[in-house]
Amino acid sequence: MLSLGPIAFAAPWLLLALPALPVLWWLLRVTPPAPRRIAFPALRLLRDLPIAEETPSRTPWWLLLLRIAAAALLILGLARPVLGPGAGTAGEGTLLLVVDDGWASAEDWPARMAAAGGALDRAGREGRRVALLATAPAETAEPPRVIGPMPAEDLRSRLAALRPKPWAPDQAAALAAFQAWRTTNPGPVSSLLLSDGVEHSPSALAEALAAAGPLAVARAEAQPVRLLLPPLAEADRLRLRLQQLPLPVASEAVVLARTGDGRALGRAVIPLASGATEGEAALELPVEIRNQVVRLEIENNAGPGAVILLDERFRRRPVGLLPSVEESADAPLIGDLFYLDRALTPYAELRRGPLDRLLARPIAVLALADRPVADGSEREALARWVERGGTLIRFAGPRLADHPDSLLPVPLRAERQLGGSLSWEQPQHLAPFPEGSPFAGLAIPAEVAVERQVLAEPSPRLSERSWARLTDGTPLVTAEARGGGRIVLFHVTANAEWSNLPLSGLFVQMLRRIVALSAGIQGAEGEAPLAPIETLDGFGRLGPAPPAAAAIPAAQIEATVPSPRNPPGWYGTPGQDPSSIAYRRALNLGGSVPGLRAAPPPPPGSALLGIGGVPTERDLGPWLLAAALLLLAADLLIGLRLRGLLRPGFALVAVLWLAQPAVAQTASDPAPALATRLAYVATGDAALDDVQRMGLVGLSDFINRRSATALADPAAVTPGADDLSFYPLLYWTVTAEAPPPDAAAVVALNEFMRNGGIILFDTRDEGSGEGFAPGARAALRRVTRDLAVPPLAPIGEDHVLKRSFYLLPDLPGRFSGGQVWVARDQDRANDSVSPVIVGGHDWASAWAIDARGQNPFATIPGGTRQRTLAYRFGMNLVMYALTGNYKGDQVHVPAILERLGN
Amino acid sequence: MVAADRVAATVLQGVHGRRRSGQGDAFWQYRPFLPGDSAARIDWRQSARSDRLFIRETEWEAAQTVALWSDASRSMEWTSGPGRPSKRERADLLLAALASLVLRGGERVRLLGGGGRSHAGRAGLTSVVETVSAISKSRSLPPNDPALPRHARSVLIGDFLAPLHEIHATVAELAARPVRGHILQVLDPEEESLGESNRHYTGRVLFEWQGDTSVLVPRVETVRGHYAERLRQHRAGLAAIAAAAGWTFLTHRTDQPPAQALLALWQALAPD
Repeated sequence: MLSLGPIAFAAPWLLLALPALPVLWWLLRVTPPAPRRIAFPALRLLRDLPIAEETPSRTPWWLLLLRIAAAALLILGLARPVLGPGAGTAGEGTLLLVVDDGWASAEDWPARMAAAGGALDRAGREGRRVALLATAPAETAEPPRVIGPMPAEDLRSRLAALRPKPWAPDQAAALAAFQAWRTTNPGPVSSLLLSDGVEHSPSALAEALAAAGPLAVARAEAQPVRLLLPPLAEADRLRLRLQQLPLPVASEAVVLARTGDGRALGRAVIPLASGATEGEAALELPVEIRNQVVRLEIENNAGPGAVILLDERFRRRPVGLLPSVEESADAPLIGDLFYLDRALTPYAELRRGPLDRLLARPIAVLALADRPVADGSEREALARWVERGGTLIRFAGPRLADHPDSLLPVPLRAERQLGGSLSWEQPQHLAPFPEGSPFAGLAIPAEVAVERQVLAEPSPRLSERSWARLTDGTPLVTAEARGGGRIVLFHVTANAEWSNLPLSGLFVQMLRRIVALSAGIQGAEGEAPLAPIETLDGFGRLGPAPPAAAAIPAAQIEATVPSPRNPPGWYGTPGQDPSSIAYRRALNLGGSVPGLRAAPPPPPGSALLGIGGVPTERDLGPWLLAAALLLLAADLLIGLRLRGLLRPGFALVAVLWLAQPAVAQTASDPAPALATRLAYVATGDAALDDVQRMGLVGLSDFINRRSATALADPAAVTPGADDLSFYPLLYWTVTAEAPPPDAAAVVALNEFMRNGGIILFDTRDEGSGEGFAPGARAALRRVTRDLAVPPLAPIGEDHVLKRSFYLLPDLPGRFSGGQVWVARDQDRANDSVSPVIVGGHDWASAWAIDARGQNPFATIPGGTRQRTLAYRFGMNLVMYALTGNYKGDQVHVPAILERLGN
Repeated sequence: MVAADRVAATVLQGVHGRRRSGQGDAFWQYRPFLPGDSAARIDWRQSARSDRLFIRETEWEAAQTVALWSDASRSMEWTSGPGRPSKRERADLLLAALASLVLRGGERVRLLGGGGRSHAGRAGLTSVVETVSAISKSRSLPPNDPALPRHARSVLIGDFLAPLHEIHATVAELAARPVRGHILQVLDPEEESLGESNRHYTGRVLFEWQGDTSVLVPRVETVRGHYAERLRQHRAGLAAIAAAAGWTFLTHRTDQPPAQALLALWQALAPD
């Protein structure tokens, strides 16, 4: 192996032939070209002419150059040059690939795999044995161990099976594994460490590798490692927080708030200055919208570190209401709870009942309207609940003024009346809310006036405990934090008796802010085990929990660090009743793993490489040999021409003959309207177009066998160039490089969709195919930007596509487990037939049938069942395209039959 | 034949030959009786009109035989390019045109090597052309024709690339008969210049001719001068042979118009 800059030669000894080129030059000069033959009658006159030079060798210099170039290309090509050879694998003996496959490596996983694959290729060429060490524990909770050494080709499948893990690498265990491996494999070794750039735990792994042999460290310098932290809930916003390794340039991160079914509800941009390690931004969402958010994620960042699952603490907070007298509490306009009920119903889940029953279930906020708390067990229970994080809201009133208890933020002194017939004083208005109060910023209506209130005992801490005051300075709302919770006292009643505050919109907003401040339910805390429901995988996608995942005691979920036993995700009691969802807790990477620290610099003497800079290595040999052959062919033609044996007409015919296949390929079907056929959009990538064609051939074959449909051979179309109106269905595989369609194509495609055509977009990267086609989703966005795509929604359980021929629970292709999107059911345009189906299961590969009638592409995760289901989906798809909502109408059949019977 | 007639017509306009008294039927002139004239030749009718005696002379109509020959050997079939007539085509055209002229002038045409018959009259042109076409292969020099009248005229058309001594023998034999004649050498321009303006005639070239040992010329450009000198010597030899026999020697190239050569030949035939 000989390296010259970005090019290396696998058989460098062949380059020794290069110095022979001048010899070739000399030979070409002394060996004259074959003479041209000319018939000439006056031959006798030519005989015995005195001939001056016998070395006529006037081969034209450019022809000589051509031949030399062809010979040089031949030599270079046979020396098997490789562009961008696998880097950093200098050294002798076994090559040890050490791969950080923790959560921080998911973002640029394909580039990492390409770098590792390049090193593997190179080691394979050099005949070195290779060993693999993944530093994160496996899904089975086994500690890291070294695989190998084994031949590079055998290790390739092991490397391909590697997936990023949603937990941190265990470098200490990896070091131990390495040392154990060294005791059995003491030979020379060189290492390539694919580092994720984060110091997860102090470890001397890199030093140990450097001590054992030459070490190269590959790091992705330009790729930010970002960790989304759990947001802080504030009164009317979520404060988003982000950690990252410092970048030399300023950047920004976009955080999306999504619902459970994937819709994005909000978007916030976190600006990150150059060199910053943390960023913050506020996500302002109305509470009723915010309650639907279950997932925050950094846009365009893969990996579990970019995802935060929001559990019940960030969601709906149940509020318990307790009146003084249950019977009159709801009396219109005068009842204790009449206004509270109306103010809180839109934003919170309200519960009523006796105190002990309310406290028996998890509850976030308890509002006591002029209800004294009895001494003894009731007070103790309430105090305990507040200590654990409950928010207690109390309203004053005649009874509370008579019997103040200890569950009040400030000691009470007396009750006063303002503006009554027996008083000189006027009703008081509200002063502006002080800074630091949760009410700060709320507009105060001028008409709010307080006529009676309870007064607080003056104390040094009174002012800091006051959240709202009257214009004369007396506190109107006071609050005190106790333990994890807080007690808030309104110094007026909850009805309009003492003030008109409950009549104003301000009352609603104040209550909403207090409720939003509350800690949320922590009801199921305790030792009750929470079983894993759904967990995040290494790319930040939710999926079924791996077998090794174990339950976590509820009380310890805060302190749990994600690991193979406890992968990040949803934990709870998967109950039979829907309300059990209230007991779901999220285990997130952000907040539970230690803060991000950049990994220490590699040990001195080790080579530092980048990841993703150089594309995967490319074998130049065949190209050079092809170029040499072309040159030799040109030389042959030129030689013929020089001898006058080649007539221009013949050359033209030869060129036309060579060009003929290309012409024949592009010629479109002369009569596409004569038969129904499927069509795919030509991508320009010959291999991919072939897969699409094979897939549609396989599907057409399946459908022709199983139904009365007679589909002809599929056609390749180019939107804008071909007439699309003959095809019911367009299969469109979107590649990362797919260019956006031009104006003519956009017009044709929109026309196609408006007239009932269906386009199936396939990004080939969903579900089990995650990471197979990086960039395809961005390309899909680019491709469809100008198309009239209706609003999309995940496909419903009862969608016609799932029962137009077969009854299908899901729609797998080559991959399985991803989401398929169709137009919303509400869309009545086009008879509720979705003109667009978007998915990423690579169906064409699953359907594909090669020339021998076999399926060339294995399904992932695999099995004949998956392929059968893929074909069935294809059947449903074609039926859907051909019959529209016909099957959807079948639901009305019973009603129609009934009507006919009558 | 049509082309030959057309070429002959262009020549005929400017030349009127054979106007002299001699044996014939057509009236030519009256001339005074001279002592020594036969009394039988006196035209009495004319003499009666005056005091003097007149003799009636008729125009000379004794037909001369012109022997024509064109080289029909293989080398005459050659042409240097597709757009150019072969030497044989040109030679046959000239022969036919000349025959047309001669037959219009009332002479007889005889084809050397053509079966020994003479052709006369305007209608004779057809049989001349047929005979020429029938001579497919022939020697590169005219055969001996014992029936050829003495004092006949002959025109030999060919490339005359044969060795000079062979040509000399043939010409000398004809001249001894005696026959006066003309030699027209028809060459392709590439033969004359060794392809000076033709890019095929460059570099290393193997010249070959059927049955002959081929000649390899390493660089054609260098031998072009020598070739021109050889050709000049060969022509000088031909001219010398012709002059020795009292013949004329003309040259013609296939890229020149045929009328030019025809005019030269006709004028060479005309003076006597």
